[in-house]
Amino acid sequence: MVEKNSCVAVYDNHLQAEEAVRRLLEKGFDAGKLSIVGKGYQREEHPIGFYNTGDRMKFWGAQGAFWGGLWGMLLGAAFFWVPGLGTVVIAGPLVSALVTALEGAAVMGGLSVLGAALYSIGIPRDSIVRYETAIKSDHYLLIVHGDQGEVERAHDVLAGGDARDVTIHLS
Amino acid sequence: MNPQSAFFEESARCLKQSPLFSELAPSAIEDIITRCRRETWRRRRQLPMEETWQRFHILLSGRVRLSRSNPENGRMITLFLLGPGDPFCLFSLLDGKPHEVMLETLDDVALLSLPMDEARHWLDEHPEFNRQLLPYLGEQMCSLAGLASDLALHDTETRLARLILRHVDSSATGNDQHATPRLINDLSHEFLAEMIGSVRVVVNRQLQHWKQEGIVDAHRGHLEVEALQELARRAEEHPRKVSA
Repeated sequence: MVEKNSCVAVYDNHLQAEEAVRRLLEKGFDAGKLSIVGKGYQREEHPIGFYNTGDRMKFWGAQGAFWGGLWGMLLGAAFFWVPGLGTVVIAGPLVSALVTALEGAAVMGGLSVLGAALYSIGIPRDSIVRYETAIKSDHYLLIVHGDQGEVERAHDVLAGGDARDVTIHLS
Repeated sequence: MNPQSAFFEESARCLKQSPLFSELAPSAIEDIITRCRRETWRRRRQLPMEETWQRFHILLSGRVRLSRSNPENGRMITLFLLGPGDPFCLFSLLDGKPHEVMLETLDDVALLSLPMDEARHWLDEHPEFNRQLLPYLGEQMCSLAGLASDLALHDTETRLARLILRHVDSSATGNDQHATPRLINDLSHEFLAEMIGSVRVVVNRQLQHWKQEGIVDAHRGHLEVEALQELARRAEEHPRKVSA
């Protein structure tokens, strides 16, 4: 079960998101409590693909090293086509929230499957709309899951970096 | 908050519409938002103020109730019902102490939050804020005094009428008999009772009575005033019948 408190940071590009993940790990954060969400398809990057070798997914495309590296560190990986957003790549515990939302038919009215997953981890609708817009604009979300103390500490680490926005969501 | 944040502009817009911040220069508003972090709290989050008093909060959306309760009998009284633009932990900002108050979110809320020391630092740099802070505090004190005197001096009908009128837009004219109370119009009867020191059945009975008289329309958890002048008359009458 994914914890219902989170700190969500929005990044302009994957390099910034990668750097933020590195900074959190250096500060002792548990990689098992970090999720990343981004768009998996960009026009100039044809073709893209996924395949599974043993327990690792491979991402084929210009950002393959980024996603491949993350999947080495984070728990779970998923690739979805979301109406209105296009293809979305997710790594980390948010994947299990998304699968739960799908399997439990818990998709909320008016929310995409990604929105439902975000809602299920305690993020309110208004913020979900903003985050979906950010993803649509090729930004990246870095989500730190944890108790209130952990997400507040994550905020302090991330607010000093390149994030366009850092918000704490408490249930 | 980073000025590049998608939430920055809407935060600034909210503060500009708030009675407490509206007269401030845009640069002062931007300064406080930049010092804040944005948080969201889900509906029905309850926490004692001992857990929050070291930070100053400004509501951006949704409602928060500040209340006190008696654990012996479970009775509760709502001290303040806050909406967008209202701050909380304001008394702790002034006296640096925690207060025995319970916070509860009535909706999913978004808020700005900053450490008390940082808020005091901002206050030092923007003394012009006091021109709005002092009247705001005066209003809060009047509200508490009103609650105390209502509880001591008036019966339930008068207290309920006063509660509703306090939440009706003061710009409603004498000719316009219809009004939708802000902040309280979708609250349960139990919640309304907790705002006037009564119980659900009494509030329910009173609203039904007024409904039959055409003073209010209360249905499906939605409250509308249909006869403002008559409600105002009820708010002024009915001195408490003191029993021996």
